[in-house]
Formats: sequence, C-alpha cells, structure tokens
Amino acid sequence: MLRSIKVVLNGVERTVDVEDHWTLLWLLREKLKLKGTKHGCDRGDCGICTVLVNNTPVKSCLVLAPEVNGAEILTIEGLAKEGSLAPIQKSFIEHSALQCGICTAAFVLTGHWLLQQGDGVDRKRVAEAIDGILCRCTGYRQIIEAIVDAARKK
Amino acid sequence: MLPKFLYHAPETIHEALELLNKYGREAKLLAGGTDLVVDLRERKTRPKAVIDIKRIKELNVLKYEPGRGLVIGATVTYHQILEYEPVRKKYPVLWEAVKTVADEILRMRATLVGNICTASPAADTAPALLVYDAVVETASKNGGRKIPIENFFTGVKKTVLEEGEMVVSVTLPEPPADAKGTYLKAMRVWSEDLALVGVAALVADGGKDVRLAYASVAPTPVRARKAEKVFREDGDIREKIEKAVELAVASVSPISDVRASKEYRLHLVKTFTRNALNRLLGVEAVVVA
Repeated sequence: MLRSIKVVLNGVERTVDVEDHWTLLWLLREKLKLKGTKHGCDRGDCGICTVLVNNTPVKSCLVLAPEVNGAEILTIEGLAKEGSLAPIQKSFIEHSALQCGICTAAFVLTGHWLLQQGDGVDRKRVAEAIDGILCRCTGYRQIIEAIVDAARKK
Repeated sequence: MLPKFLYHAPETIHEALELLNKYGREAKLLAGGTDLVVDLRERKTRPKAVIDIKRIKELNVLKYEPGRGLVIGATVTYHQILEYEPVRKKYPVLWEAVKTVADEILRMRATLVGNICTASPAADTAPALLVYDAVVETASKNGGRKIPIENFFTGVKKTVLEEGEMVVSVTLPEPPADAKGTYLKAMRVWSEDLALVGVAALVADGGKDVRLAYASVAPTPVRARKAEKVFREDGDIREKIEKAVELAVASVSPISDVRASKEYRLHLVKTFTRNALNRLLGVEAVVVA
C-alpha cells in the first residue's frame, strides 16, 4: 500500500510516499537517490547500510520504510554543514581510514554517533561499537584510530 | 526487494489483537525485525500483513522488583537489557547470554521476545530463561496464558503460540539468594554467528540447586534435569560433576550441519558443562594431558 510518511531527513522536514514493503535502504537509495548509503548483504550482517535513525545507528536493510514515520534520519549526505566537513569526516581523511570506500559511510556515521555519547571513547569502546560493520580493506586499525582521535580532539 | 504485504502499526494491545484476529495465520508480528525482515526477503514467510508492535508503549516495560522478579516486555531490546543494572546484578546468566548476541548495532534493535518467538534451536537467550524458570505471558481475544518457558518451544522454529495469540512479556522470578551462574557459547567467529553450542549454568542453595540448559544441540533449547538431580544427593563433588556431565550429554541430540559436526557439539557440551560446574562449584580443574 502506498502511504505518506513524515521524516526529518538530514535536517530537512519531508513528506514522502512509500510502499509498505519497502525497506529504509530502498527508500533512501532508489526513491530519494541518496546513494551514499550502500547496499551490501541485505541481511544485517555486513553493516554497510548503517544510518542514524533518531540518533541511533541502524542497519537500514532491516528496517521497513513505514517504520520510520516521524523519525529523524541522518545519512552520510547530511553530515557536512554548509560545505564544511564534520570533525569525524576530517579525522577519517587525516588517518587514511578507508580504501575502497564501500563501508566508509557506515563507519563515519557510527563514529559520529559515538562522539556524541560522552567520554570514554577509547580503542576498546570503538572496537565494540563498530563490531557489526565489516571492512575488507583496512584491517580496521585506521578506522579505530580515526574515531578515537576525533573523540580526543573534541 | 521484499514481497508485498500490508503494514500496520497499532498503538494498543487491543488493536494488535484485533488485527491478529482479522488476518489469522496470514499476519506476522514485527518487533526488531532482525529475523522477520530477513525471512521476508528470503521468501521463508509470505504474510498478508506485518503488524509492527513497537508503537505499543505498554510492551516496552523493563522492570525488576525485589521478590517479584524481572519483567521484560515484548519490544524491549537487547541493548536495553544490557544497560539495566538489575539484570547484570541479579540475572548474570541472561546478561552474559545477551552480550554474545550479534553486534551492538543489532542489539539496539533486536528483542528478547522476538528471539524466543523465532524459536531457533540456537536462540541464545533461551538457555538463560530456562535456568531462571522464566514464564512467558501472552494475550489473545480469549484471554492470556502464562506458559513456563520449558513448555514454550515445541520444535525447530515452532512454539505453543496459537493463532491470534501474542507474547506480551517474559517474567523471570527472583533467583535464589546465593545464585551464581554463567553462559558459555562457542562460535566460529566472534559476533555475527549463531551458537555452535550454548550452555547456561546456575548454582544455588550451597551447591544443591544446580540448573543446566543448552542451545543448538536439540530441535529446541533444552534443560538437562536428570543431570541437575545429581547434585541433590550427597557424595564427592568431583564424582557428581562427572556424572552430571555424562547425563547432560545423554539429554541432548545435536545434528551435524555447516557450522559444526555432531561429535564436536557433544564434545563441547562435555567440556563446557564441566568447566562451568567446576568454576561455579569452586572445584579446581584437574589438568588431563
């Protein structure tokens, strides 16, 4: 069934028509053409489709589009403000925390969420938080360092 | 793409039951969605309606009261359980089991009640619920039921739930005062894997009240009551542990699958049971070369 839902997407209030059986991932990529969110395993294992819903990391392949009615959604496209990168994005660049890039949006958004969780963002905490996102290039070291360093500079 | 279905988001249990009644077996309840959405995508289920229960506020209760125990509502996530201090203090077996499930991002979404309703033989929370004698509370148009967790699972992905019936909460009674316990789980990789074997052990009443329960070694999660009885009798503690280990092995019936062989699973049941009991009963392990 086609229905209208209201969301605040990357800071902008929007009304969108969605089909009941669409996933949030489908809504973002195919309907709204926000291709920064990546499509991976489609079963919640790889984590590369992670976005923030009500400021909480969520694997968007496992969420139905109508479920997010009334929610705030942040995708990688909404992180930079007025042309200037968010601290977590700068840190990923400084630490060369990516290679092929397919998992990067998910790690950056999860890192961004962690930075807002208060103190204690050390290697152990970061490793725990990013446990559900796979990267097959970097071996995770640079990713962890980028997030820990961004937390230190906060 | 998922197959088509109608999405409903009731705001009360009453509305949810109306919908369940209307669609019967053609409805699926949605909580965290970490099992259901995967099953929908793989066409393992083709419901006409998906009923999202996350907007029903009364289902998100998570409350411990001394003497009365712990109530976990149907939409309470693993993350909520891990963050709730009384769980860590009073129900450590459950806390440890929940900590092993998937990863932090999924744990902020997936629910304990969803886990038991999926009724996988590998359900990680089931052995913990079994050793705490949990009771599943349901609602339906004909009234609700209180079902001991030991009677809840009837087969692989099957439960005693009837058409039109939904789980409202799970209650864990107050554990014995001196209860200690642990959950041991074998996986091929840490996170993102199901249990090859999961063992929950609880020891109370000065070592006389011992409870053992297992995941991934039978069509349903199982409690090894025969092995538990050994500790009600007098005798040498080491001998009792060995006897219990043998009885535990006799009470499970694992299969070989892509994740582990039957033989390996039986071996894990033995060593995990022995290690857990040695530790909880304060027996020093004998090193066997």
